[in-house]
Amino acid sequence: MAKILIVDDEEHIRFLYSEELSDEGYEVVTADSGYQLLERIEQEKPDLIILDIKMVDYNGLDLLQDIRNKYYDLPVILCTAYDTFKEDMKSIAADFYVIKSFDLTELKNKIKMALETSMPSKEG
Amino acid sequence: MNEERYEENPQNVTEAEMVVAIPSYREAKLIAYPTSQAALGLKRYFRDKKYVLINCDNNSDDGTKEAFFGAETEDVPQIYISTPPGVRGKGNNFRNLFRKVLELKAKAVVVVDADLKSITPQWIKHLGEPLFNDFGYVSPLYVRHKYDGTITNSIAYPMTRALYGRRVRQPIGGDFGFSGDLARIYLASPTWTEAVSQFGIDIWMTTLAMNNNIPICQAYMGRPKIHKPKDPGADLGPMFAQVVGTIFDLMLHNTGYWMQVKWSKPTAIYGFGLGEVEMPPPVKVSEGKLAQNFRDGFDKYQDIWRKVLTPDNMNKVLEIGQLPDEHFDFPTQLWAKLLYDFASSYHKEVADKDEVLASLIPLYFGKTLSYVRKTARMSVQQAEEFIENECMVFEETKPYLLERWGA
Repeated sequence: MAKILIVDDEEHIRFLYSEELSDEGYEVVTADSGYQLLERIEQEKPDLIILDIKMVDYNGLDLLQDIRNKYYDLPVILCTAYDTFKEDMKSIAADFYVIKSFDLTELKNKIKMALETSMPSKEG
Repeated sequence: MNEERYEENPQNVTEAEMVVAIPSYREAKLIAYPTSQAALGLKRYFRDKKYVLINCDNNSDDGTKEAFFGAETEDVPQIYISTPPGVRGKGNNFRNLFRKVLELKAKAVVVVDADLKSITPQWIKHLGEPLFNDFGYVSPLYVRHKYDGTITNSIAYPMTRALYGRRVRQPIGGDFGFSGDLARIYLASPTWTEAVSQFGIDIWMTTLAMNNNIPICQAYMGRPKIHKPKDPGADLGPMFAQVVGTIFDLMLHNTGYWMQVKWSKPTAIYGFGLGEVEMPPPVKVSEGKLAQNFRDGFDKYQDIWRKVLTPDNMNKVLEIGQLPDEHFDFPTQLWAKLLYDFASSYHKEVADKDEVLASLIPLYFGKTLSYVRKTARMSVQQAEEFIENECMVFEETKPYLLERWGA
Protein backbone atom coordinates (compact mmCIF):
# COMPACT_ATOMS: atom_id res chain seq x y z
CA MET A 1 0.00 0.00 0.00
CA ALA A 2 1.15 3.52 -0.74
CA LYS A 3 3.11 5.55 1.79
CA ILE A 4 1.85 9.09 2.52
CA LEU A 5 3.83 11.87 4.20
CA ILE A 6 1.65 14.45 5.97
CA VAL A 7 3.33 17.83 6.53
CA ASP A 8 1.28 20.04 8.84
CA ASP A 9 2.08 22.06 11.96
CA GLU A 10 -1.35 21.46 13.54
CA GLU A 11 -1.29 18.35 15.68
CA HIS A 12 -5.02 17.64 15.45
CA ILE A 13 -4.86 17.70 11.65
CA ARG A 14 -1.93 15.29 11.61
CA PHE A 15 -3.80 13.04 14.02
CA LEU A 16 -7.06 13.13 12.07
CA TYR A 17 -5.44 12.53 8.69
CA SER A 18 -3.20 9.77 10.08
CA GLU A 19 -6.12 7.92 11.65
CA GLU A 20 -8.40 8.15 8.65
CA LEU A 21 -5.78 7.41 6.02
CA SER A 22 -4.36 4.49 8.03
CA ASP A 23 -7.88 3.10 8.16
CA GLU A 24 -7.92 3.29 4.36
CA GLY A 25 -4.85 1.08 4.37
CA TYR A 26 -2.19 3.69 3.63
CA GLU A 27 1.10 3.73 5.47
CA VAL A 28 1.28 7.20 7.04
CA VAL A 29 4.24 9.20 8.32
CA THR A 30 4.08 12.79 9.52
CA ALA A 31 6.22 15.91 9.82
CA ASP A 32 5.27 18.89 11.99
CA SER A 33 7.11 21.48 9.92
CA GLY A 34 8.94 22.00 6.64
CA TYR A 35 12.30 21.77 8.43
CA GLN A 36 14.66 19.60 6.40
CA LEU A 37 11.71 18.34 4.41
CA LEU A 38 13.78 17.28 1.40
CA GLU A 39 15.99 15.13 3.67
CA ARG A 40 12.88 13.63 5.21
CA ILE A 41 11.52 12.80 1.77
CA GLU A 42 14.83 11.19 0.90
CA GLN A 43 14.63 9.01 4.03
CA GLU A 44 10.94 8.09 3.90
CA LYS A 45 10.52 7.84 0.12
CA PRO A 46 6.79 8.58 0.26
CA ASP A 47 4.51 7.88 -2.69
CA LEU A 48 2.54 11.05 -2.01
CA ILE A 49 2.79 14.18 0.15
CA ILE A 50 -0.04 16.10 1.78
CA LEU A 51 1.30 19.59 2.37
CA ASP A 52 -0.16 22.37 4.50
CA ILE A 53 0.23 25.73 2.79
CA LYS A 54 0.35 27.96 5.84
CA MET A 55 2.62 26.75 8.58
CA VAL A 56 4.02 29.03 11.26
CA ASP A 57 7.61 28.85 10.06
CA TYR A 58 7.21 27.69 6.48
CA ASN A 59 5.34 28.65 3.35
CA GLY A 60 3.97 25.47 1.79
CA LEU A 61 4.11 26.97 -1.71
CA ASP A 62 7.86 27.56 -1.38
CA LEU A 63 8.29 24.01 -0.09
CA LEU A 64 6.27 22.80 -3.06
CA GLN A 65 8.77 24.52 -5.38
CA ASP A 66 11.66 22.77 -3.67
CA ILE A 67 9.93 19.41 -3.80
CA ARG A 68 8.98 19.78 -7.48
CA ASN A 69 12.50 20.80 -8.49
CA LYS A 70 13.99 17.69 -6.91
CA TYR A 71 11.14 15.18 -7.28
CA TYR A 72 9.63 15.97 -10.66
CA ASP A 73 6.69 13.57 -10.50
CA LEU A 74 6.13 13.02 -6.78
CA PRO A 75 2.41 13.69 -6.15
CA VAL A 76 1.73 16.61 -3.83
CA ILE A 77 -1.70 17.59 -2.54
CA LEU A 78 -1.94 21.05 -1.03
CA CYS A 79 -4.16 21.51 2.01
CA THR A 80 -5.39 24.88 3.13
CA ALA A 81 -8.06 26.51 5.20
CA TYR A 82 -8.60 29.24 2.59
CA ASP A 83 -8.56 29.12 -1.19
CA THR A 84 -6.91 32.52 -1.68
CA PHE A 85 -3.60 30.74 -2.32
CA LYS A 86 -4.79 30.04 -5.86
CA GLU A 87 -3.91 33.62 -6.74
CA ASP A 88 -0.28 32.56 -6.39
CA MET A 89 0.77 30.82 -9.61
CA LYS A 90 3.21 28.63 -7.66
CA SER A 91 0.22 26.57 -6.57
CA ILE A 92 -0.17 25.03 -10.03
CA ALA A 93 2.90 22.88 -9.39
CA ALA A 94 0.67 20.80 -7.06
CA ASP A 95 -1.24 17.79 -8.32
CA PHE A 96 -4.36 18.85 -6.45
CA TYR A 97 -5.50 21.04 -3.61
CA VAL A 98 -8.20 20.51 -1.02
CA ILE A 99 -9.80 22.83 1.48
CA LYS A 100 -9.28 21.52 5.02
CA SER A 101 -12.34 19.81 6.40
CA PHE A 102 -13.25 17.14 8.92
CA ASP A 103 -14.90 15.27 6.08
CA LEU A 104 -11.97 13.72 4.24
CA THR A 105 -13.96 12.36 1.29
CA GLU A 106 -12.51 14.85 -1.17
CA LEU A 107 -8.99 14.38 0.12
CA LYS A 108 -9.31 10.61 -0.18
CA ASN A 109 -10.62 10.96 -3.75
CA LYS A 110 -7.72 13.19 -4.72
CA ILE A 111 -5.21 10.81 -3.14
CA LYS A 112 -6.69 7.98 -5.16
CA MET A 113 -6.53 10.01 -8.39
CA ALA A 114 -2.98 11.18 -7.74
CA LEU A 115 -1.80 7.64 -7.09
CA GLU A 116 -3.68 6.31 -10.14
CA THR A 117 -2.12 8.86 -12.50
CA SER A 118 -0.05 7.03 -15.01
CA MET A 119 2.11 7.84 -17.97
CA PRO A 120 4.16 5.50 -20.14
CA SER A 121 7.88 5.71 -19.66
CA LYS A 122 8.63 5.95 -23.38
CA GLU A 123 7.05 7.00 -26.65
CA GLY A 124 4.48 4.37 -27.51
CA MET B 1 22.85 30.03 -49.59
CA ASN B 2 22.05 26.32 -49.64
CA GLU B 3 19.05 24.59 -51.14
CA GLU B 4 16.74 25.24 -48.21
CA ARG B 5 18.27 28.17 -46.40
CA TYR B 6 19.63 31.61 -47.09
CA GLU B 7 21.96 32.86 -44.37
CA GLU B 8 23.77 36.04 -43.39
CA ASN B 9 26.27 35.56 -40.59
CA PRO B 10 28.30 38.78 -40.53
CA GLN B 11 30.27 37.91 -37.38
CA ASN B 12 30.92 34.40 -38.71
CA VAL B 13 29.62 32.69 -35.58
CA THR B 14 30.41 28.96 -35.75
CA GLU B 15 29.59 27.86 -32.19
CA ALA B 16 27.22 29.04 -29.47
CA GLU B 17 25.95 27.46 -26.25
CA MET B 18 22.88 29.66 -26.14
CA VAL B 19 20.66 30.84 -28.98
CA VAL B 20 17.78 33.27 -28.87
CA ALA B 21 15.67 32.92 -32.00
CA ILE B 22 12.97 35.20 -33.36
CA PRO B 23 10.82 33.70 -36.12
CA SER B 24 9.20 36.23 -38.43
CA TYR B 25 7.31 37.05 -41.55
CA ARG B 26 6.91 40.71 -42.43
CA GLU B 27 7.59 42.05 -38.94
CA ALA B 28 9.79 45.02 -39.89
CA LYS B 29 7.78 47.36 -37.68
CA LEU B 30 7.96 45.28 -34.51
CA ILE B 31 11.01 43.01 -34.56
CA ALA B 32 13.54 45.57 -33.30
CA TYR B 33 12.02 45.69 -29.80
CA PRO B 34 12.10 41.94 -28.96
CA THR B 35 15.54 41.76 -30.58
CA SER B 36 17.00 44.47 -28.32
CA GLN B 37 15.30 43.05 -25.21
CA ALA B 38 16.64 39.58 -26.02
CA ALA B 39 20.13 41.01 -26.44
CA LEU B 40 19.86 42.67 -23.03
CA GLY B 41 18.70 39.38 -21.51
CA LEU B 42 21.67 37.49 -22.97
CA LYS B 43 24.19 40.07 -21.79
CA ARG B 44 22.68 40.36 -18.34
CA TYR B 45 21.97 36.72 -17.47
CA PHE B 46 24.15 34.55 -19.72
CA ARG B 47 27.38 36.52 -19.81
CA ASP B 48 29.44 33.39 -19.13
CA LYS B 49 28.05 31.66 -22.24
CA LYS B 50 28.75 32.03 -25.93
CA TYR B 51 25.50 33.28 -27.41
CA VAL B 52 23.92 34.47 -30.61
CA LEU B 53 20.67 36.04 -31.78
CA ILE B 54 19.02 34.44 -34.80
CA ASN B 55 16.20 35.82 -36.90
CA CYS B 56 14.48 32.96 -38.78
CA ASP B 57 12.52 34.63 -41.51
CA ASN B 58 10.36 33.80 -44.51
CA ASN B 59 12.26 36.04 -46.91
CA SER B 60 10.15 39.06 -45.89
CA ASP B 61 9.98 41.86 -48.41
CA ASP B 62 9.18 44.61 -45.88
CA GLY B 63 12.68 45.14 -44.45
CA THR B 64 12.42 42.67 -41.53
CA LYS B 65 16.05 41.62 -42.00
CA GLU B 66 17.27 45.23 -41.98
CA ALA B 67 15.18 46.00 -38.89
CA PHE B 68 16.64 42.94 -37.12
CA PHE B 69 20.23 43.89 -37.94
CA GLY B 70 19.48 47.53 -37.15
CA ALA B 71 18.17 46.84 -33.63
CA GLU B 72 20.26 47.93 -30.64
CA THR B 73 21.97 44.71 -29.54
CA GLU B 74 25.12 45.97 -27.79
CA ASP B 75 27.46 43.82 -29.90
CA VAL B 76 25.57 40.55 -29.35
CA PRO B 77 26.29 38.58 -32.55
CA GLN B 78 23.43 38.16 -34.98
CA ILE B 79 22.57 35.69 -37.71
CA TYR B 80 19.79 36.00 -40.25
CA ILE B 81 18.45 32.85 -41.89
CA SER B 82 15.58 32.60 -44.31
CA THR B 83 13.55 30.14 -46.28
CA PRO B 84 13.96 30.53 -50.07
CA PRO B 85 11.71 33.05 -51.84
CA GLY B 86 8.12 31.82 -51.95
CA VAL B 87 8.50 29.36 -49.07
CA ARG B 88 6.39 30.55 -46.15
CA GLY B 89 5.45 29.08 -42.79
CA LYS B 90 6.49 29.44 -39.17
CA GLY B 91 7.34 25.75 -39.02
CA ASN B 92 9.69 26.07 -42.00
CA ASN B 93 11.51 28.81 -40.09
CA PHE B 94 11.86 26.45 -37.15
CA ARG B 95 13.20 23.66 -39.32
CA ASN B 96 15.96 26.01 -40.44
CA LEU B 97 16.51 26.92 -36.81
CA PHE B 98 16.81 23.28 -35.67
CA ARG B 99 19.52 22.69 -38.28
CA LYS B 100 21.38 25.82 -37.29
CA VAL B 101 21.16 24.89 -33.61
CA LEU B 102 22.84 21.57 -34.34
CA GLU B 103 25.51 23.23 -36.48
CA LEU B 104 26.27 25.67 -33.65
CA LYS B 105 26.21 22.81 -31.07
CA ALA B 106 23.91 24.92 -28.91
CA LYS B 107 22.77 23.54 -25.53
CA ALA B 108 19.85 25.91 -25.07
CA VAL B 109 17.48 27.73 -27.42
CA VAL B 110 14.98 30.39 -26.47
CA VAL B 111 12.34 31.48 -28.97
CA VAL B 112 10.29 34.66 -28.70
CA ASP B 113 7.68 36.07 -31.05
CA ALA B 114 8.63 38.95 -33.32
CA ASP B 115 5.49 40.96 -32.51
CA LEU B 116 6.00 40.95 -28.72
CA LYS B 117 5.48 44.28 -27.03
CA SER B 118 5.77 43.16 -23.40
CA ILE B 119 8.99 41.14 -23.45
CA THR B 120 11.63 42.00 -20.84
CA PRO B 121 15.22 40.72 -20.51
CA GLN B 122 13.95 38.47 -17.69
CA TRP B 123 11.90 36.48 -20.18
CA ILE B 124 15.16 35.28 -21.73
CA LYS B 125 16.47 34.34 -18.28
CA HIS B 126 13.33 32.46 -17.30
CA LEU B 127 12.94 30.60 -20.58
CA GLY B 128 16.67 29.84 -20.81
CA GLU B 129 17.98 29.07 -17.33
CA PRO B 130 15.98 25.87 -16.73
CA LEU B 131 17.63 24.41 -19.86
CA PHE B 132 20.97 24.51 -18.02
CA ASN B 133 19.32 22.77 -15.03
CA ASP B 134 18.13 19.45 -16.44
CA PHE B 135 14.94 20.65 -18.12
CA GLY B 136 14.59 20.01 -21.84
CA TYR B 137 11.54 22.11 -22.65
CA VAL B 138 10.34 25.35 -21.09
CA SER B 139 6.85 26.61 -21.74
CA PRO B 140 5.71 30.14 -20.83
CA LEU B 141 3.27 30.99 -18.07
CA TYR B 142 1.81 34.42 -18.46
CA VAL B 143 -1.34 36.09 -17.37
CA ARG B 144 -3.54 36.40 -20.44
CA HIS B 145 -6.89 38.07 -20.76
CA LYS B 146 -9.66 35.51 -20.38
CA TYR B 147 -10.66 36.05 -24.04
CA ASP B 148 -7.11 35.91 -25.42
CA GLY B 149 -6.01 32.51 -26.67
CA THR B 150 -9.38 30.80 -27.01
CA ILE B 151 -7.98 27.97 -29.18
CA THR B 152 -5.54 27.31 -26.36
CA ASN B 153 -8.20 27.44 -23.68
CA SER B 154 -10.86 25.33 -25.34
CA ILE B 155 -8.81 22.88 -27.43
CA ALA B 156 -5.01 22.87 -27.22
CA TYR B 157 -4.65 22.92 -23.42
CA PRO B 158 -7.44 20.52 -22.42
CA MET B 159 -6.68 18.10 -25.27
CA THR B 160 -2.91 17.85 -24.74
CA ARG B 161 -3.41 17.60 -21.01
CA ALA B 162 -5.98 14.81 -21.25
CA LEU B 163 -4.08 12.99 -23.99
CA TYR B 164 -0.49 13.17 -22.79
CA GLY B 165 -1.01 13.69 -19.08
CA ARG B 166 1.11 16.79 -18.63
CA ARG B 167 -0.39 20.15 -17.62
CA VAL B 168 1.22 22.71 -19.89
CA ARG B 169 -0.98 25.79 -19.78
CA GLN B 170 0.32 27.49 -22.94
CA PRO B 171 1.16 24.69 -25.36
CA ILE B 172 0.99 27.12 -28.30
CA GLY B 173 2.30 30.16 -26.46
CA GLY B 174 4.85 31.09 -29.13
CA ASP B 175 7.61 31.89 -26.62
CA PHE B 176 9.53 28.95 -25.19
CA GLY B 177 12.85 27.27 -24.63
CA PHE B 178 14.21 23.90 -25.73
CA SER B 179 17.48 22.03 -25.49
CA GLY B 180 19.85 21.23 -28.31
CA ASP B 181 19.11 17.54 -27.71
CA LEU B 182 15.43 18.18 -28.29
CA ALA B 183 16.25 20.02 -31.55
CA ARG B 184 17.85 16.76 -32.71
CA ILE B 185 14.67 14.83 -31.81
CA TYR B 186 12.58 17.39 -33.69
CA LEU B 187 14.69 17.09 -36.83
CA ALA B 188 14.58 13.30 -36.76
CA SER B 189 10.83 13.04 -36.15
CA PRO B 190 8.87 11.32 -38.91
CA THR B 191 5.73 13.29 -37.96
CA TRP B 192 6.50 16.46 -39.95
CA THR B 193 3.54 17.58 -42.09
CA GLU B 194 2.52 20.58 -44.17
CA ALA B 195 0.46 21.85 -41.20
CA VAL B 196 3.53 21.56 -38.94
CA SER B 197 5.52 23.64 -41.41
CA GLN B 198 2.97 26.41 -40.83
CA PHE B 199 1.19 27.25 -37.54
CA GLY B 200 1.05 23.63 -36.36
CA ILE B 201 4.67 23.95 -35.24
CA ASP B 202 4.04 25.13 -31.65
CA ILE B 203 1.67 22.33 -30.65
CA TRP B 204 3.89 19.84 -32.50
CA MET B 205 6.97 20.87 -30.50
CA THR B 206 5.13 20.78 -27.17
CA THR B 207 3.56 17.41 -27.94
CA LEU B 208 6.85 15.85 -29.01
CA ALA B 209 8.46 17.08 -25.79
CA MET B 210 5.63 15.42 -23.84
CA ASN B 211 5.60 12.07 -25.56
CA ASN B 212 9.38 11.80 -25.54
CA ASN B 213 9.22 12.26 -21.76
CA ILE B 214 11.43 15.33 -21.89
CA PRO B 215 11.49 17.09 -18.47
CA ILE B 216 9.22 20.09 -18.92
CA CYS B 217 8.90 23.16 -16.76
CA GLN B 218 6.74 26.24 -17.06
CA ALA B 219 8.42 29.60 -16.67
CA TYR B 220 6.56 32.48 -15.12
CA MET B 221 7.00 35.55 -17.32
CA GLY B 222 5.66 38.10 -14.83
CA ARG B 223 4.12 40.30 -17.50
CA PRO B 224 1.16 39.52 -19.73
CA LYS B 225 1.80 38.62 -23.33
CA ILE B 226 1.05 41.76 -25.28
CA HIS B 227 1.16 41.32 -29.02
CA LYS B 228 -1.12 41.86 -31.97
CA PRO B 229 -4.49 40.97 -30.42
CA LYS B 230 -7.19 39.00 -32.18
CA ASP B 231 -10.96 38.99 -31.69
CA PRO B 232 -11.95 35.36 -30.95
CA GLY B 233 -14.99 35.85 -33.19
CA ALA B 234 -12.97 37.01 -36.18
CA ASP B 235 -11.93 34.84 -39.11
CA LEU B 236 -9.50 32.19 -37.92
CA GLY B 237 -7.76 31.76 -41.24
CA PRO B 238 -5.79 28.55 -41.76
CA MET B 239 -4.35 28.59 -38.23
CA PHE B 240 -7.25 26.67 -36.67
CA ALA B 241 -6.99 23.76 -39.10
CA GLN B 242 -3.20 23.68 -38.80
CA VAL B 243 -3.22 23.56 -35.00
CA VAL B 244 -6.14 21.17 -34.58
CA GLY B 245 -5.06 19.05 -37.55
CA THR B 246 -1.64 18.67 -35.96
CA ILE B 247 -3.19 17.58 -32.65
CA PHE B 248 -5.23 14.96 -34.50
CA ASP B 249 -2.31 13.84 -36.70
CA LEU B 250 -0.10 13.36 -33.66
CA MET B 251 -2.83 11.30 -32.00
CA LEU B 252 -2.45 8.83 -34.87
CA HIS B 253 1.31 8.62 -34.36
CA ASN B 254 1.19 8.44 -30.57
CA THR B 255 -1.81 6.20 -29.96
CA GLY B 256 0.24 3.72 -27.94
CA TYR B 257 1.35 6.52 -25.65
CA TRP B 258 -1.81 8.50 -24.95
CA MET B 259 -3.98 5.43 -24.53
CA GLN B 260 -1.90 4.51 -21.49
CA VAL B 261 -2.18 7.95 -19.89
CA LYS B 262 -4.61 8.32 -17.01
CA TRP B 263 -5.28 11.72 -15.41
CA SER B 264 -2.52 14.32 -15.54
CA LYS B 265 0.47 15.70 -13.69
CA PRO B 266 1.73 19.22 -13.09
CA THR B 267 5.15 20.51 -14.10
CA ALA B 268 7.79 22.33 -12.13
CA ILE B 269 7.39 26.10 -12.15
CA TYR B 270 10.29 28.49 -12.63
CA GLY B 271 10.71 32.21 -12.19
CA PHE B 272 8.89 33.88 -9.35
CA GLY B 273 9.63 36.98 -7.36
CA LEU B 274 8.88 39.42 -10.16
CA GLY B 275 6.77 41.71 -8.03
CA GLU B 276 3.17 42.65 -8.53
CA VAL B 277 1.36 40.83 -11.32
CA GLU B 278 0.50 43.09 -14.21
CA MET B 279 -2.98 42.57 -15.62
CA PRO B 280 -3.40 41.96 -19.35
CA PRO B 281 -5.12 44.50 -21.60
CA PRO B 282 -8.76 43.81 -22.47
CA VAL B 283 -9.63 41.77 -25.57
CA LYS B 284 -12.74 42.77 -27.47
CA VAL B 285 -15.10 39.99 -28.41
CA SER B 286 -18.10 40.15 -30.69
CA GLU B 287 -20.76 37.82 -29.30
CA GLY B 288 -22.91 38.53 -32.34
CA LYS B 289 -20.21 37.28 -34.70
CA LEU B 290 -19.65 34.17 -32.60
CA ALA B 291 -23.37 33.38 -32.59
CA GLN B 292 -23.70 34.00 -36.32
CA ASN B 293 -20.67 31.85 -37.17
CA PHE B 294 -22.07 29.04 -35.01
CA ARG B 295 -25.51 29.16 -36.58
CA ASP B 296 -24.11 29.38 -40.14
CA GLY B 297 -22.46 26.01 -39.55
CA PHE B 298 -25.83 24.22 -39.46
CA ASP B 299 -26.50 24.97 -43.13
CA LYS B 300 -22.98 24.40 -44.28
CA TYR B 301 -21.76 21.41 -42.32
CA GLN B 302 -24.70 19.45 -40.96
CA ASP B 303 -24.08 16.59 -43.42
CA ILE B 304 -20.48 16.21 -42.28
CA TRP B 305 -21.45 16.50 -38.61
CA ARG B 306 -23.80 13.55 -39.09
CA LYS B 307 -20.85 11.48 -40.33
CA VAL B 308 -18.49 12.64 -37.60
CA LEU B 309 -20.69 12.71 -34.50
CA THR B 310 -22.60 9.93 -32.78
CA PRO B 311 -26.37 10.27 -33.19
CA ASP B 312 -26.67 11.16 -29.52
CA ASN B 313 -24.12 13.98 -29.77
CA MET B 314 -25.60 15.17 -33.06
CA ASN B 315 -28.99 15.51 -31.39
CA LYS B 316 -27.45 17.53 -28.59
CA VAL B 317 -25.84 19.89 -31.11
CA LEU B 318 -29.20 20.30 -32.83
CA GLU B 319 -30.79 21.12 -29.45
CA ILE B 320 -28.15 23.77 -28.78
CA GLY B 321 -28.83 25.24 -32.22
CA GLN B 322 -32.44 25.75 -31.25
CA LEU B 323 -31.72 27.50 -27.96
CA PRO B 324 -32.72 31.14 -27.87
CA ASP B 325 -29.75 33.52 -27.58
CA GLU B 326 -30.48 34.43 -23.98
CA HIS B 327 -30.31 30.76 -22.88
CA PHE B 328 -27.40 29.74 -25.05
CA ASP B 329 -25.20 27.12 -23.38
CA PHE B 330 -22.62 24.68 -24.72
CA PRO B 331 -21.90 22.13 -21.95
CA THR B 332 -18.24 21.28 -21.44
CA GLN B 333 -18.77 17.55 -21.39
CA LEU B 334 -20.52 17.70 -24.75
CA TRP B 335 -17.65 19.81 -26.11
CA ALA B 336 -15.13 17.21 -24.91
CA LYS B 337 -17.16 14.41 -26.52
CA LEU B 338 -17.45 16.35 -29.78
CA LEU B 339 -13.69 16.86 -29.93
CA TYR B 340 -13.16 13.19 -29.22
CA ASP B 341 -15.70 12.34 -31.97
CA PHE B 342 -13.84 14.61 -34.38
CA ALA B 343 -10.46 13.10 -33.48
CA SER B 344 -11.79 9.55 -33.96
CA SER B 345 -13.55 10.39 -37.22
CA TYR B 346 -10.45 12.16 -38.53
CA HIS B 347 -8.51 9.00 -37.71
CA LYS B 348 -11.09 6.83 -39.50
CA GLU B 349 -11.34 9.26 -42.43
CA VAL B 350 -15.13 9.27 -42.49
CA ALA B 351 -14.90 12.35 -44.72
CA ASP B 352 -12.25 14.53 -46.31
CA LYS B 353 -9.88 15.56 -43.49
CA ASP B 354 -9.82 19.24 -44.45
CA GLU B 355 -13.61 19.33 -44.47
CA VAL B 356 -13.78 17.58 -41.10
CA LEU B 357 -11.50 20.26 -39.64
CA ALA B 358 -13.44 23.09 -41.32
CA SER B 359 -16.72 21.73 -39.96
CA LEU B 360 -15.39 21.90 -36.41
CA ILE B 361 -14.94 25.67 -36.61
CA PRO B 362 -18.61 26.69 -36.17
CA LEU B 363 -18.90 24.38 -33.15
CA TYR B 364 -15.75 25.97 -31.72
CA PHE B 365 -17.37 29.38 -32.16
CA GLY B 366 -20.43 28.11 -30.30
CA LYS B 367 -18.30 26.79 -27.46
CA THR B 368 -16.39 30.09 -27.35
CA LEU B 369 -19.66 32.04 -27.14
CA SER B 370 -20.75 29.88 -24.22
CA TYR B 371 -17.36 30.42 -22.51
CA VAL B 372 -17.57 34.19 -23.03
CA ARG B 373 -21.06 34.28 -21.49
CA LYS B 374 -20.16 32.07 -18.52
CA THR B 375 -16.99 33.98 -17.69
CA ALA B 376 -18.31 37.47 -18.39
CA ARG B 377 -18.35 38.48 -14.74
CA MET B 378 -15.30 36.47 -13.74
CA SER B 379 -11.87 37.84 -12.92
CA VAL B 380 -8.86 36.48 -14.80
CA GLN B 381 -8.18 34.19 -11.83
CA GLN B 382 -11.77 32.89 -11.72
CA ALA B 383 -11.70 32.25 -15.46
CA GLU B 384 -8.48 30.25 -14.94
CA GLU B 385 -10.25 28.07 -12.39
CA PHE B 386 -13.13 27.64 -14.80
CA ILE B 387 -10.69 26.39 -17.46
CA GLU B 388 -9.01 24.05 -14.95
CA ASN B 389 -12.41 22.54 -14.17
CA GLU B 390 -13.08 22.11 -17.89
CA CYS B 391 -9.78 20.25 -18.20
CA MET B 392 -10.89 17.85 -15.47
CA VAL B 393 -14.03 17.17 -17.52
CA PHE B 394 -11.83 16.30 -20.52
CA GLU B 395 -9.83 13.89 -18.35
CA GLU B 396 -12.97 12.32 -16.87
CA THR B 397 -14.43 11.91 -20.37
CA LYS B 398 -11.30 10.25 -21.80
CA PRO B 399 -12.74 6.70 -21.53
CA TYR B 400 -15.28 7.86 -24.14
CA LEU B 401 -12.38 8.66 -26.50
CA LEU B 402 -10.83 5.23 -25.93
CA GLU B 403 -14.14 3.63 -26.77
CA ARG B 404 -14.74 5.75 -29.89
CA TRP B 405 -11.18 5.38 -31.15
CA GLY B 406 -11.31 1.61 -31.03
CA ALA B 407 -14.91 1.20 -32.18
